[in-house]
Amino acid sequence: MKTAAAIEVRDLRKTYQVRDGGSWRGKTREITALDGISFTVPAGEIAGFIGPNGAGKSTAIKILSGILRPTSGTVRVGDLVPWENRIAHVARIGVVFGQRTQLWWDLSVAEGLALLRDIYSVEPERFRRNRDRLAEALDLNGIMDQSVRQLSLGQRMRAEIAAALIHDPDVVILDEPTIGLDAPSKLAVRAFVRDLRRERGTTVLLTTHDMHDIEALADRVIVIGHGRILADSPFEALQATTLSERILEADFTGPPPDLFLPDGAVETERGTRCVTITFDPQRLPAPALVAHLSKLPGLGDLRIGRPAIEEIITRFYADHAS
Amino acid sequence: MTIRPYVTSFVLQWKIGLRYRLAVLAGLVAQMWFGAISLMAYAAVYHHAPDVNAPMTLRQAMTYTWIQQSFFTLLPLGCLPAIGEAAKSGAIVYDLLRPVDLWNWWLSASLARLLGNAVPRAILLAVVAGPLAALVGLNGWSLAPPASFEAALLAVVSFVLGAFISASIVMWWNIIAARTLSPLGTYAVGTPLAVLLSGMLLPLPLYPDWARELLLLQPFAGISDIPIRLYMGMPIPGGILAALGIQCFWLLALTVIGRFWMNRTVSRMEVQGA
Repeated sequence: MKTAAAIEVRDLRKTYQVRDGGSWRGKTREITALDGISFTVPAGEIAGFIGPNGAGKSTAIKILSGILRPTSGTVRVGDLVPWENRIAHVARIGVVFGQRTQLWWDLSVAEGLALLRDIYSVEPERFRRNRDRLAEALDLNGIMDQSVRQLSLGQRMRAEIAAALIHDPDVVILDEPTIGLDAPSKLAVRAFVRDLRRERGTTVLLTTHDMHDIEALADRVIVIGHGRILADSPFEALQATTLSERILEADFTGPPPDLFLPDGAVETERGTRCVTITFDPQRLPAPALVAHLSKLPGLGDLRIGRPAIEEIITRFYADHAS
Repeated sequence: MTIRPYVTSFVLQWKIGLRYRLAVLAGLVAQMWFGAISLMAYAAVYHHAPDVNAPMTLRQAMTYTWIQQSFFTLLPLGCLPAIGEAAKSGAIVYDLLRPVDLWNWWLSASLARLLGNAVPRAILLAVVAGPLAALVGLNGWSLAPPASFEAALLAVVSFVLGAFISASIVMWWNIIAARTLSPLGTYAVGTPLAVLLSGMLLPLPLYPDWARELLLLQPFAGISDIPIRLYMGMPIPGGILAALGIQCFWLLALTVIGRFWMNRTVSRMEVQGA
């Protein structure tokens, strides 16, 4: 039956050889994509893997999928080393690359799933059960007979997720599964991933640029930047510190006046008619900040939002440098 | 290890190939046209030099040409389009994520693509250039039947080996496409190479003496030249066993070296982007 699989990564390094100038005469140069990362994901946990573009997320995902061989370090998924037992390893994992399609453009969703049944040698009985369950949970019944090229992005992504799960993988790697989706489709994908873990105890590694995905799903968050792990903590811990921070943008009718901000808020940017303030709602609740600002002359519009992942990472660097 | 995924891959590409029926018909017309022009050229050459002791009779040259034209799409003209596209877009990662032997997986797809294109054309062309041509009085220009029953059997075995050799060469193009992240180079180099060395442009038996035996020893001769010689019962240096031996040798060599090269490629592959 099912073996409890977990991901274990120890001191993983990967360097690429890059040729400058693109010609055969250019000098080769080494680029370090992963600079010794270590982490563990226990069976049945959903781990969020976040970081800016070029941080090494994709490289790590490719190594975990068995596509790429690292320069050094060890990885175990279940009891297998991905790049050494590629065929046995990939039979037990499911992968969705949000920006690429694994279904066949010329075939219908149903035909594609049947093809995957043969590729993964899923027994007919189990295949029928899984297909019906996935079609129900991902709302695919209406599009089973449509060819993949006719699907909308949201429909296609739901079909892609079904395709990655038709063989009951123990470990699922979702690389940007909600990219480009509209709000209802994002909610559907998140609900499905949550149920998957609850009902089957599937281990999930999720990369995303959408903090809402992380908030809705992740038990744990691993932050990666410049090929290193910057933080690895339970979601609540990260939320209490870094993710709790909010950004307020205030527009003024003229040049902004001096703000005299209370504790817990810092002015981070000043334009000709706009000021950006970063604040910690636990020290200074948003209504209090708004009340303070509304006393200022010439105040126009107010907008409150979260910092982008890129900014969070930037601050991680600052914290680590000091 | 089960054979099921490879059969599935074969059936899929076969179906995709058959979806383009209009292309089959258009290709057929083009090949009939080129076939007819070559035949007229051979007829002119042979009639102006009746005393030369040619290595093939005019009738053999015509039959050779018809079969070559029917099997034009069996030649390894470049990589499998689906693999070339996947290499370019990066979707090739999904091929590496399948629990299958990648060589057999791509080979079965490549073979299906070649046969799916070639077999329907070959049957149509054989009917048109064979019995139909004979019926309308073009007997001298038609496709001759096999030299004997044994020759037909040998030719079938040899054609099957030829199809596998061709698919193995396509595999080499697939590897090159995966390495260069583009299918274009494989078509640019593969098409002229295959057309020239297979005997498609000029039958290999008609090359000058010094080149003839050398040409028989290269892998492209095993795709259609050797099977056609066996079909027509033409003498082959070294005999029938040598002919089949050359085919088996190339199939084995292309597979063993190709697999090694592919493993190296896959283990060093750096798929771009997220």
